[in-house]
Amino acid sequence: MKMKMPTGLFDKLSSQLLVIELLPRPVLKVVGPLLVPLKIMPEDGRSAAKALMAPHVRDASIEFLKMAAEWMLAAKRARKRGEKVILVPFNFPSELIHAFTKARPLTSEVLTTLGVSALPGQGEDYWNVAMGLGLPDHLCSANTIELGSILSGDDLKPDAIIQSAPGGCDVNSKIHEFVAHYLDIPQFFLQKPTDDSGRGREWYGKYMKSLVAQLEEFLGEKLDEGRLRAVMEKANRCTELYYELWDLQKAVPSPVPNLFSLLIYGTRFTMWGTDAAVRTMEAMVKIGKERLAKREYPAPAEVARCLWAYTSYYYDFFGFFNWMEDKGYSHLGDGLDLFFPKLVDTASMDSMLEGIAEAAWNMPMTRQVGGESMSGSWTEDVVHAVKELGADCVIYCGHHSCKQTWSVASILRSELQKRTGTPMLMLQGDSWIKNMTPMSVLQEQIEEFISNVVAKKDGKKRKIRRRKKADGAEQSAEAEMA
Amino acid sequence: MDEIRKLSGALETDHVRKWKAGGGKVLGYTCIATPVELVAAAGVLPYRVRALGSAQTEIADAHLSRFNCSFCRSCLQLGLDGSYDFLDGMIETNGCDHLRGMIENWKYAKGFGFFHYLRVPQIVDKDSFAFFVDELKLMRRAMSDFIGAEVDDDAVRAEIERQERIRGKLRRLYSIRERERPGLTGAEALEVFLAATASTTDVFEAELDRIIREREGHEVPAPRARLVLGGSATDEVDFVREIEDVGGLVVTDMLCFGSRAFWTRELPQQGSPEEDLARLYLGNQICPRMFDEFHKRRDFIFSAVERARADGVVLVHNKFCDIHGVDNVQLRMALEKKGVPVLQLEKEYGARADLGRIRTRVQAFLERIGDAK
Repeated sequence: MKMKMPTGLFDKLSSQLLVIELLPRPVLKVVGPLLVPLKIMPEDGRSAAKALMAPHVRDASIEFLKMAAEWMLAAKRARKRGEKVILVPFNFPSELIHAFTKARPLTSEVLTTLGVSALPGQGEDYWNVAMGLGLPDHLCSANTIELGSILSGDDLKPDAIIQSAPGGCDVNSKIHEFVAHYLDIPQFFLQKPTDDSGRGREWYGKYMKSLVAQLEEFLGEKLDEGRLRAVMEKANRCTELYYELWDLQKAVPSPVPNLFSLLIYGTRFTMWGTDAAVRTMEAMVKIGKERLAKREYPAPAEVARCLWAYTSYYYDFFGFFNWMEDKGYSHLGDGLDLFFPKLVDTASMDSMLEGIAEAAWNMPMTRQVGGESMSGSWTEDVVHAVKELGADCVIYCGHHSCKQTWSVASILRSELQKRTGTPMLMLQGDSWIKNMTPMSVLQEQIEEFISNVVAKKDGKKRKIRRRKKADGAEQSAEAEMA
Repeated sequence: MDEIRKLSGALETDHVRKWKAGGGKVLGYTCIATPVELVAAAGVLPYRVRALGSAQTEIADAHLSRFNCSFCRSCLQLGLDGSYDFLDGMIETNGCDHLRGMIENWKYAKGFGFFHYLRVPQIVDKDSFAFFVDELKLMRRAMSDFIGAEVDDDAVRAEIERQERIRGKLRRLYSIRERERPGLTGAEALEVFLAATASTTDVFEAELDRIIREREGHEVPAPRARLVLGGSATDEVDFVREIEDVGGLVVTDMLCFGSRAFWTRELPQQGSPEEDLARLYLGNQICPRMFDEFHKRRDFIFSAVERARADGVVLVHNKFCDIHGVDNVQLRMALEKKGVPVLQLEKEYGARADLGRIRTRVQAFLERIGDAK
């Protein structure tokens, strides 16, 4: 029998993660760091491996990789048993799917991120499949890379798609809809009323219940209260750990490694409500606490505390998260970390479903640009995080396809300045495609911003140069502005 | 067509100026999901925001980004440079991310005398319908507050009927456009529609009657090919003219500045005015902002092709318009499967620089159609 080499993103990744699943943690701890110098991984993936296996994050990274392996391989095995694989976007609380026995969730954007960081070519071949169908090049690479792999027909095909981006992001919703039609698979909707009054939230709860009923029908399985409770209790534990990390992040210098920003929401979007997620979050908290106790920081000094307003960059973990850290630039998290989970009341089925609706309402993107005002809730969240975490600058990554955030980024910048005096750097690039803006260019811009704006922010006030007007009278720039 | 051109050729037309001078109020709106009946029933002129092909965006670019659709940037430019100062307020709908961003920046930078946000569901089902009925009640209340008097059921019902009559007449005009020997061009039809969304009902209806009478016996020169134009918000008369100048006659459309705004809308069963309007608007939204309804849009364009005996379809979207950018691919695939030739165009709004390229592509498309005939 001839073995077929996997070509799809999911198939390739899950083959790699099989090794992670098989190796015990102590072995991984030793073997992991060897992956980089031995060059047995593709060059593109070595940067991610180097970042993940750095000594100060290694224990948490291993838990994260173990969790990712469990997440993907469980879906693969479930499919073999005839159970359903449901593709969800990142802003859907996947703990709901974990509570069913006949379904496993896979998250488009997380698959893309893992593929971009581990596979040769960083997922661009899959992007090209989508472009080859004539889809526009202003789609979001976060999901189009994974969806391109599915569209190629040579990867795991989901049994259904859940859409929770209508109301929060057009491009996410449209590409998932396209794939559902192209593959001729059912899609289920959780639309977000762009209404921040209690009324909008009330309707959202109804939409969630209606979605659960549709899923029950599709799966032929009634959601079991006991099983849901078990999942929600673990989700609650994850929530507690999230806030422990949040509190740790407030310390100066930050004891939370930059990479954890990604690992936190990587956990939120995939396995929240499972033992693996609890282990990953615990590993991060443990590292944070140890580093706080020892006052450990990778650079001689913390030069800047940076909050990222929306997404970060994911095509070069080492060049991005760890480079910042080495320079003394703490990454205090990004917009995707701002999902502020709440403890769910597990007393009854109703209270738990209400808790899931609340979690969905507060997922990143849904909560911010999916709000009544696209800039309003986003600004509130960023201002809150800036104040709580003591950020001295905000960076907007300017992912090309985020048209909703691009629409109101200027308002965010202006409000941040007004309310907190915090400067915001606006970059431009694609968070998942390296060819758009090279990492070296981004690094240069970040460095310039921090050394010229942030580092000088609290220093001596700059003298305003007086300019001569045409009539010879002098006028200050301030007076001109007024 | 001269009167129609006067009603559609500028933002603040003589008609709008006269209306304002007589003490009339004007409210802007941006999306066909806005039930203009509620605005008109309050004695206010509903005015659909357009950019009329203006490609200037330098003020708007300080607010929106170059990753936002250029139609929205052009509208924002006109909002911020004072061209829209005749508006007394704005009704926002969650049409798409770009439109929302445009209104939000306009409001942030300049503010509106009156503002109401109408939230329109993106799925049609029982829950969404009930939500939308509530929304329309809120909108009616907002309109009453705006004019300082109750907008009563009778006024809304009368306006529903009046708008239904107008829609019927627009369909009549389209039948003249779609017939074997069309009585008007696509560019002219667009001008009529632009006038419809910037005039009071009585003035527009009189003009519409006149055009129908004039064009019933009129024939435009036979084209090289009969085309359907579909896609993003297109209020660029010059763009349509460009297609027609090279020999393609746009015999019908699938545009929100066109048939999508009136074709399928028929007076529903009588419930409360809000229930009727909810059925009318939510149940008949032929727009890719709606989900789980691709089949409606596909059938709509199939039917347009058949009805107008079209030789091909031109699907257009402005760069960065995601909803039409993706939907046009699905429509292209469905049409090609049926053997209908399709030209898919991505363009910048109003950019003269794009016209040469578009002309070449349309010419090549017409040749392709000609070869296949």
